[in-house]
Amino acid sequence: NFFSHIRTPPKPSNAVTIAVSSRTLFNMVKERKVFEEEGLEKYVAHQLELEDQPFTPGVSFPFVKALMNVNARLRELYPDSEELFDIVLMTNNHAQVGVRLINSINYYDLTIERFCMTGGESPIGYLKAYMTNLYLSKDSMKVQEAIEEGIAAATMFTCDSENELSDTQLRVAFDGDAVLFSDESEIIVKEHGLDTFFRHEKEFENNAASAGARVLKTLRSWGLEVDEALFLAGAPKGPLLQKIRPHIFFDDQMFHIEGAQELGTIAAHVPYGIGQKYHKGKRIDTNTNNEIKMSKK
Amino acid sequence: MSLDPVQVMKRQDSLPKTCPSASNGDSKASWDDSKDIHENVGSTKKPKPPKPENAVTIAVSSRVLFHTEKEQKVFEQQGIEEYLRYQVEHENEPFAPGPAFPLVKALEAVNNHLRELYPESEELFDIVLVTYNHANVGIRLINTINYHNLFIERFCMTGGSSPTGYLKAWHTNLYLSADTAKVQEALSEGIAAATMFMSEKQIEVSKTQLKVAFDGDAVLFSDESERIFKAHGLDKFFEHERENENTLLDHGPLKGFLEVLGKLQKKFYAKGHRLDCPIRTYLVTARSAASSGIRALKTLRAWGLEIDEALFLAGAPKGPMLEKIRPHIYFDDQMFHVEGAVEMGAIAAHVPYGIAQKYPHKKSTNTGK
Repeated sequence: NFFSHIRTPPKPSNAVTIAVSSRTLFNMVKERKVFEEEGLEKYVAHQLELEDQPFTPGVSFPFVKALMNVNARLRELYPDSEELFDIVLMTNNHAQVGVRLINSINYYDLTIERFCMTGGESPIGYLKAYMTNLYLSKDSMKVQEAIEEGIAAATMFTCDSENELSDTQLRVAFDGDAVLFSDESEIIVKEHGLDTFFRHEKEFENNAASAGARVLKTLRSWGLEVDEALFLAGAPKGPLLQKIRPHIFFDDQMFHIEGAQELGTIAAHVPYGIGQKYHKGKRIDTNTNNEIKMSKK
Repeated sequence: MSLDPVQVMKRQDSLPKTCPSASNGDSKASWDDSKDIHENVGSTKKPKPPKPENAVTIAVSSRVLFHTEKEQKVFEQQGIEEYLRYQVEHENEPFAPGPAFPLVKALEAVNNHLRELYPESEELFDIVLVTYNHANVGIRLINTINYHNLFIERFCMTGGSSPTGYLKAWHTNLYLSADTAKVQEALSEGIAAATMFMSEKQIEVSKTQLKVAFDGDAVLFSDESERIFKAHGLDKFFEHERENENTLLDHGPLKGFLEVLGKLQKKFYAKGHRLDCPIRTYLVTARSAASSGIRALKTLRAWGLEIDEALFLAGAPKGPMLEKIRPHIYFDDQMFHVEGAVEMGAIAAHVPYGIAQKYPHKKSTNTGK
């Protein structure tokens, strides 16, 4: 067999494929400005000029590095297995920007061999073709499109401060409703209030009266385990996340994302379900849903 | 120069008229001669085909433009006389579309756009039917072309002799045939060419945007890198690519075709149609981005060629990507990939060039997810 296992990425059908956009992997804020203010030609010229200067790491960079550490451990234990993480760069970028991206990837010793440079077109078809298990982008429209097509996806935002993260252990934190679970319970809370919510939970539950039991039983019936489970009953998530220091935290509500970021946690927004119609408890006009922007970019 | 078996036919609605036969190399004189005849007959509604030196000429054989398997069988099993008789008998039955049919339709759609934007320009696609077929079969071909509303005004019915000389006379930019030997001959003469195959399944392709996808090594680029990989393995290949990052790859047989597509694209961009350009190009390469991508991108840049979408697959199967892209044609030098694509219903053409032709690859089966 010609192929050396170290170099050739696994077949998409065997791997856990994580697709990341160039703007989440690297910090391209300055370049993005050039594109928005001066247009495509100037942007590409600018990138070409700086081609040998690697980008600085972006918001999904720690997560990607952690995935590679896990891969290294997996390869030690199962040298012949293709059940590994495979990272694909999924970007709207012009093909020639690829050179700077490749230089940056090599500079940080990342193993990203698969690129889809879609030249402006939607990445959804390619996400499916790669059997993508998770898609991370800064563009909430693309993330929404992916979710609608049944692909797990989340929007990431640039974080100003960042807590120090583990080099040896990948940590992934999930909100429950509308992230791991559907948003049915959240719908009840938002539309009818907390009392109704608890009554509803009790009806569907077998013995204990806490909403938490339903959560745990659901996970169990799915055969899924979580290492640590925190039921906050409304307490702010920020401090707890600061303690956990996940490489990524998924939540459907921008309010929690913002809170997490304020304390230096890398958070990713899952634009799914009823949570998109509310902000800080108030119903918002869904037309302006996408206008909820971070004050920091 | 005595007996010329070729009849260069100008298609009309009923009876074909033969023009002064075009001699192989002397295009200018014969165009002037035929100009009068052309202007006096034929409908004024249909636009005039462009001069070959201005146009992007695509030569297609009858067997790839149309589905002629049945007739081909008759020829192979019962000989030429029976074959001709059969064709004449079925003259009024149009053929079904073949693998190159969607491409030709898409080329015509692009031409319509170009004519809207540049009514005086001759920089258009021009489709020439180049076929071994005997002239008698011409009627059925013409009937079929009319039936499908195609605009193919130029025929070369070579009655058995090689088409290569005629390809040159037409300044052919791309030749598509079902016959690998003819394709190889064209390639050796410096004409971009590829073999097409009929397939059972065919996924739907766009009617408004021409999509052309290319493999990298041994198609757009030379096969030099593949040679190293085949001879010395993957590690040496990566090493060689890294060391030669700033050395351009040599060009491959389809580079020129990408070039002419780019020229036409620029005409659309010039009139503000960058975002909705009716021509879109794709690079679908098994190369790995981090390990060997830079050389490919820098080579394209040095050639002044742009490609709209670039996919570095690092060995992932091409089928699902092509199924997503739905190109009107995808060029690859390895039969393994062409077969895989055709099986999924994508339109793929084999470029029989380079070292890969010496290493037929056995198909492996993918485990589903």
